[in-house]
Amino acid sequence: MAEVEETLKRIQGQKGVQGIIIVNSEGIPIKTTLDNSSTVQYAGLIHQLVMKARSTIRDMDPQNDLTFLRVRSKKNEIMIAPDKDYFLIVIQNPSD
Amino acid sequence: MFTDEALESISIQSLWRKSQRLEQESRGCQTTEVHSAETDTQAVSTTISSTQTEPQDQATELLWKNHESEPPGLKDFLQRVEDVVIRELVRNSRSHAFDGFQVNWDYSQLVSCLHCLQHPTAQERGLHATSVSWNCTGSVIACAYGRVDDGHWSTERSYVCTWNLSRRGFSPKQADLIIDVHTAVTALCCHPNQPTLIAGGLYSGEVVVWDTSRTQDPVLALSGMSADSHREPVYQVAWVPLEKKGEFRVLSASSEGRVLLWMVDLDQGRLVLNAAYVLVQQQVPHSSVSFKAQGSGTVGVTSLALSPWDSDTFLVGSEAGLLLRCSFSSKTPAAAPFEGQSVPPRAPAVFSFRPCSGPVHSIHCSPFHRNLFLSAGTDGLVHLHSLLQASPLLSLKVSDSYTFQVQWSPTRPLVFAAATGQGATSQL
Repeated sequence: MAEVEETLKRIQGQKGVQGIIIVNSEGIPIKTTLDNSSTVQYAGLIHQLVMKARSTIRDMDPQNDLTFLRVRSKKNEIMIAPDKDYFLIVIQNPSD
Repeated sequence: MFTDEALESISIQSLWRKSQRLEQESRGCQTTEVHSAETDTQAVSTTISSTQTEPQDQATELLWKNHESEPPGLKDFLQRVEDVVIRELVRNSRSHAFDGFQVNWDYSQLVSCLHCLQHPTAQERGLHATSVSWNCTGSVIACAYGRVDDGHWSTERSYVCTWNLSRRGFSPKQADLIIDVHTAVTALCCHPNQPTLIAGGLYSGEVVVWDTSRTQDPVLALSGMSADSHREPVYQVAWVPLEKKGEFRVLSASSEGRVLLWMVDLDQGRLVLNAAYVLVQQQVPHSSVSFKAQGSGTVGVTSLALSPWDSDTFLVGSEAGLLLRCSFSSKTPAAAPFEGQSVPPRAPAVFSFRPCSGPVHSIHCSPFHRNLFLSAGTDGLVHLHSLLQASPLLSLKVSDSYTFQVQWSPTRPLVFAAATGQGATSQL
């Protein structure tokens, strides 16, 4: 448990990181550093986006798979590391 | 004999009436007395209390469901992912990739008018701009002036003006180069490879090639007024690539029904006729739609298009609305009278599409799809045809008035622009 917390702290300590959310494979957030309503919103929307991105990659080449997804917007950048059981979502503002 | 007598009355007792009489007996009983008593009590002090559950946030419920035990595999997942994520975060915070990158999601302002190019002398004389062409480098735009409303031979002088948009001293009102021409210019086309050559067709039927880099006399080659050249205004000129790479010839089409292929002869400064194609009514292949042959028998050509995919095919649109697919290599001789030309004319028409009403002003082949081309005529409709079938695939009503020019977008395969008589250009 402590290792999990330490890892999250290390990630949170990087430059410009605004928040971290860990979502399980069903789209339910299990750990977060943001407030509840934002967490739930991010988790639900990003889960759908990751599923769509993953199916896009796999449709184009069934041997290929999604390893990382980055969505850059005007205000910040959302990085998503997908895995079989969990997703890690990190929101960073690179210009901070 | 008969005497009256009175007798006593006799009574008979009824037997049955007696049995009707019931016997009556009465008996009674009574219970013993019932004892009853009354008492009441009262509470000295009272209290009221109630409970109610609050609607709890679904989220917090979800969040705290697994709070007690750590989800399985979370530690391993984080170990796997941590390095990648930290590396990306560090790289992102240092990257300059998106500096100054702006995305415009606003769709309203896609087209803006950059310059309004004018030639004051031509404007004073009321000349119309008959043809516009970009040169191959994309920085020079050439415009031909002439008249389109005159029905008779005109000997007015007119101009071909070029503007160089990337020059520092560019001014929209001052053309960089003005070429004087002795009659009205009706068609213009810049060379696809050499930025200084411009081919033009005149109202008198001549075809001229100008070289804008020559300061003395820009006329490079002239077709001259001979039996070879056109007699009627040349409505379209085009540069045709040949089999030998780098060589081009000039194709000119006029309203007398002749399409001529010229070769540039630099030594003599002339255009030498290479091949002649004459379109005659009788030789037009008739598709399933019958077409009544009228007039003098020639098919006046108003527009021309080369196919970028097939070097042998070219498309011709006529004054009467005919659309024909023609081939450069056709060998059938034309049925027109041979008037002492150097090259015997041939009939090029191979296939005719369904005719539209009114002259076909513009044809353009799609640069992305092998078999598609667009045609625009005076009926305000733009027809999308396939080279393989006679009737159009799609007809779009672009405006209520005439459509003068239609062209495919060079970058987006499904977009084309149409210029209409009302002065509007629409992108579809």
